[in-house]
Amino acid sequence: MGRGDYQNPSLEDDELIDPDDADLNDFDDPLDHRPAPASSSSRAPLVSGTIGSSSSSAPTNTNTSSGWTSRIPGEDRRAPTNTIDESVWDTLRRDLLAVWSKMREVLYPRYLLGGDMGSTTSFSELAGRFGNVDVDALLGQNHMTPGLRDWDLWGPLLFCLALSALLSVRSREEQRGVVFSGVFAMVWVGEAVVTMQIKLLGGNISFAQSVCIIGYTLFPLVLAALLSALGLYWIARIPVYLLLVGWSMAAGVSILGGSGVVKNRVGLAVYPLFVFYLGLGCLCFIS
Amino acid sequence: MDLEQQALTTTSPGSLSWRLSSHPITLLTFLGFRISSLLVYLFGMLFTDSLVMIFIITILLLAADFYYLKNIAGRRLVGLRWWNEVDPATGDSHWVFESSEPGTKVVNATDSRFFWLAIYAQPMLWVLLAVVALLSLKFIWLPLVVIALVLTITNSLAFSRCDKFSQASNLAGSALGSGNLAGSIASNMVGRFFR
Repeated sequence: MGRGDYQNPSLEDDELIDPDDADLNDFDDPLDHRPAPASSSSRAPLVSGTIGSSSSSAPTNTNTSSGWTSRIPGEDRRAPTNTIDESVWDTLRRDLLAVWSKMREVLYPRYLLGGDMGSTTSFSELAGRFGNVDVDALLGQNHMTPGLRDWDLWGPLLFCLALSALLSVRSREEQRGVVFSGVFAMVWVGEAVVTMQIKLLGGNISFAQSVCIIGYTLFPLVLAALLSALGLYWIARIPVYLLLVGWSMAAGVSILGGSGVVKNRVGLAVYPLFVFYLGLGCLCFIS
Repeated sequence: MDLEQQALTTTSPGSLSWRLSSHPITLLTFLGFRISSLLVYLFGMLFTDSLVMIFIITILLLAADFYYLKNIAGRRLVGLRWWNEVDPATGDSHWVFESSEPGTKVVNATDSRFFWLAIYAQPMLWVLLAVVALLSLKFIWLPLVVIALVLTITNSLAFSRCDKFSQASNLAGSALGSGNLAGSIASNMVGRFFR
């Protein structure tokens, strides 16, 4: 396999030269029983160990590996042992830190506070640093922190639960269950609708990622619901809740605005988000 | 057939007793999360009238179970893990299914059987509960059941995908390395039998 290429080397074929950045992910999946193309089999010498050789020279296992889950799009990988054997504490700590880094983005919407999004001043220096890059590409790539790139659903879940629970606390006994499930469903449907809107506008963001971000930005509204549950006087609610909705909005715009939603459509993309926050704010107000 | 029988007797240490596990704490925590969410959903009403309370506790248990299975139990018990990666430039998400290098991780037969039994039994039980909730017209519980189904089925599919990959290359690797093809096929069949 691939050895024949040595008799007849063709330098034009870039695939013959092992790329320096090839890693385990580039290797053949043994689940794939399509005949390996010449380019990938010529790469096999790079593979030291079992994977590469097994994928090409063990046709006996066809029946064990053909499965309907293989149709799930994705990639199979061999784990570097050091990460698959890490301790439970390491895993927990890493994920808690990831959650915290996302919370920090919400607590301090820095893209909004540290220089206005739309203004060119903050980008001109960045553009100067990176040479002649267009600002839109910069918006799309460099403005999402690594913490926001790997999404999780802890924030959406916990804040959604907290919001529904706090709003249902003050409602009448017999309505409590309905209020709770109503708010719960409304939050998730709202997140899905806003995300769909952003996707349809061409935002470079995955569905779950957007749900994650919107979920985390619910934090100020949870504060509002907490104040309602504690029985804040209604006159005082108006300025406080407006402030909190504004905070949510600022966090949402700050994070989503930099997520690759086309720059001149940021307003259009976040308007439903605003309606969503305002609606939840009103719910907090009347409860 | 007799190969299978023979393999069965040799893997008899893999019976369903937690004492035989090589990660008893992980295994018990995993089973605890799995079972407790079901128990709270089924019997919570005996202890409290508050639907909200049961809803919250069940969801938190389900989430904890999902997380624990995905990031800790799967890794420690059977050496499998999966996650999602997002390409920041395009926003495309990308699923990664990971299994440990063959030979570096010895998977305990008891752990493996418990793991696969739990991973496939749980979605079926929730499907059953969904049918019950539908038939008894308790639609207020449906969101909870749907969330439970989504979480458990996601994990089942992802882990079985991980496992397909690891089995395929393990089998091939051992067949190549030692020539003991029959043995590896038999143990593989036994492995599949007890999912």
